[in-house]
Amino acid sequence: MEAISDDAFNVPDSTDWIGTPLLGLMQVEQAFRCHVCKDFYNSPMLTSCNHTFCSICIRRCLSVDGKCPLCRASDQISKLRGNWALREAVDAFVKSRDAILQFARKPVTATPTADLPSPKRKAVQIDDGERANAQENKRPRMSTRASKAKSAETTAAMMRDEIDVPASKDAMDFEPDDGLVACPICWSRMKESQVDKHIDKSCPGTPQPQRPTPPRPSRGNTNNDSHVPPNPTWKPSPPPAKIPERLPALNYSVLKDTALRKKMTELGLSAAGPRQMLERRHQEWITIWNANCDSARPKSRFDLMRDLEVWEKTMGTRAPTVSRAANMGAQIKDKDFDAAAWAAKHDTSFKDLIANARRSKMKADPPRPKPEPEPDSAGGEEDQRGAIIIDDAAALPPQRQSNYNPNLPEMAFVDLTEPPSSQPELPVPAAPAGGQGVVGNGVVPGQQPPSPSTFSSSSHPQ
Amino acid sequence: MIWTCIRIPRPHQQPPEGITAGPVSEDDLLHWEALIQGPEGTPFEGGVFPAELRFPKDYPLAPPTMKFLGEVWHPNVYPSGLVCISILHAPGDDPNHYEHASERWSPIQSVEKILISVMSMLAEPNDESPANVEAAKMWRDRRAEYEDKVRDGVRRMLGL
Repeated sequence: MEAISDDAFNVPDSTDWIGTPLLGLMQVEQAFRCHVCKDFYNSPMLTSCNHTFCSICIRRCLSVDGKCPLCRASDQISKLRGNWALREAVDAFVKSRDAILQFARKPVTATPTADLPSPKRKAVQIDDGERANAQENKRPRMSTRASKAKSAETTAAMMRDEIDVPASKDAMDFEPDDGLVACPICWSRMKESQVDKHIDKSCPGTPQPQRPTPPRPSRGNTNNDSHVPPNPTWKPSPPPAKIPERLPALNYSVLKDTALRKKMTELGLSAAGPRQMLERRHQEWITIWNANCDSARPKSRFDLMRDLEVWEKTMGTRAPTVSRAANMGAQIKDKDFDAAAWAAKHDTSFKDLIANARRSKMKADPPRPKPEPEPDSAGGEEDQRGAIIIDDAAALPPQRQSNYNPNLPEMAFVDLTEPPSSQPELPVPAAPAGGQGVVGNGVVPGQQPPSPSTFSSSSHPQ
Repeated sequence: MIWTCIRIPRPHQQPPEGITAGPVSEDDLLHWEALIQGPEGTPFEGGVFPAELRFPKDYPLAPPTMKFLGEVWHPNVYPSGLVCISILHAPGDDPNHYEHASERWSPIQSVEKILISVMSMLAEPNDESPANVEAAKMWRDRRAEYEDKVRDGVRRMLGL
């Protein structure tokens, strides 16, 4: 995994342009960033409602609720279309961003007419900004010009450079010395004599992938790119030599456990864990995989597997050592879960919870008029199972329910499946003001206690 | 970069006035602390309200929760401090059916927008779906008493 600690506090952001003479670029940069992940568009895709998001972002969103995050119009993953022009624009911007920003923060005061910077000298020139400044002081004639105007001019020159460099190199790359000529339409290379026939008969009509592209480092994060100096061999949108095939979505509701497990094994995925976990893992794999198909620089299968691994760790679906609660959640959802034993084991904590809930209910009207299931049902194992099933169906997000419903069985359930980070929230709604600590301490004897750090922070002394 | 890291926006370099926010520690980026100034011209004026934000692991698909760490007497804040505001509710998760889907959580929201919404909530309570029924009644029927109580809370919080 990347060094998060370093990156986390040095993340490029559109506000970087504030305080520079190029404030207008803040808006440009905002236009290049995904509304969901706030990062630069990575394989931008157009929805049916003409909104654009990173491929992976919109795929995840649509797979959760099937609506555009911006306008909430219904949409389907299969209707997404690549926004390739934007992809190129973003790539180009990201590549030159660092240089422009550096330039904007330390304006070069040498006149652009004095010596137009050649691409090779560019980096030197920026570093020499101070010296150029000193030189300028010796030449009073120069100081009559507004330095702002000068820097703007130089900026323009520099931007010309940025644009020119890849373009010219590109043009050179375009004509390999192979004795062939390119079809003017599809860019396929062939003998000159074949071109006419080709255009009449077999030309596909659109540019086709031609040049074998050199392997490039996988691009998980556009930020990495911005630290790399502009790559002169960069070509706009080199289509991958071999486009990996997209995976079809599965209708999980008609798929039996064994069939799903078989499918996952075929895909090379782990088929371990309870049903819900399998579905989520499979869904995420399809998302990662298909988003990768939209990428200009697809990653290897190995990298994707690693991404899935990271996702799985992050979501805590397979982290029994890290999160005991998640483990217990899996346990409780297991077919062979012994509800009676569970109820017996945690009988005291259930009773405590009921007592607490009743007490707080008497003290204050429940904040919401929503009808609450009888707390009495808490002890009954049948109801517990029932609550579990209902909650499974409701799936996302369990947190809200737990916050507003001090009902016991559900709480016990939510407590176990939820990310542990939200645990300290659970006892709260039932508690009267200031009673949170009491409830928290009283409730949890048999269960997973909130971790010391989270707990102390929730009883913050302010 | 990993999913959570991309998703959690960093503290803004130029946050809106009266708001600061950031992760409590580097180890847990899903747990943030925020400080919100009481909006001017309201009884909350002069107060600084610490709150914690907890992000679900699938953020931003699901909204974070926000909880004031001190006492806040407000129709839309539970006695526990939990903030009840439409932007923090996922669409389809509205027990009272009071909120329009357009006001609800969407993955395009950001911490900044949440905090701005909470600030304006402090200034303009929404008594349609009160989290604190007593506070809502008081706000509706006995505004002066409500304001006094809020000011008292602010003073107590500041240790005056």
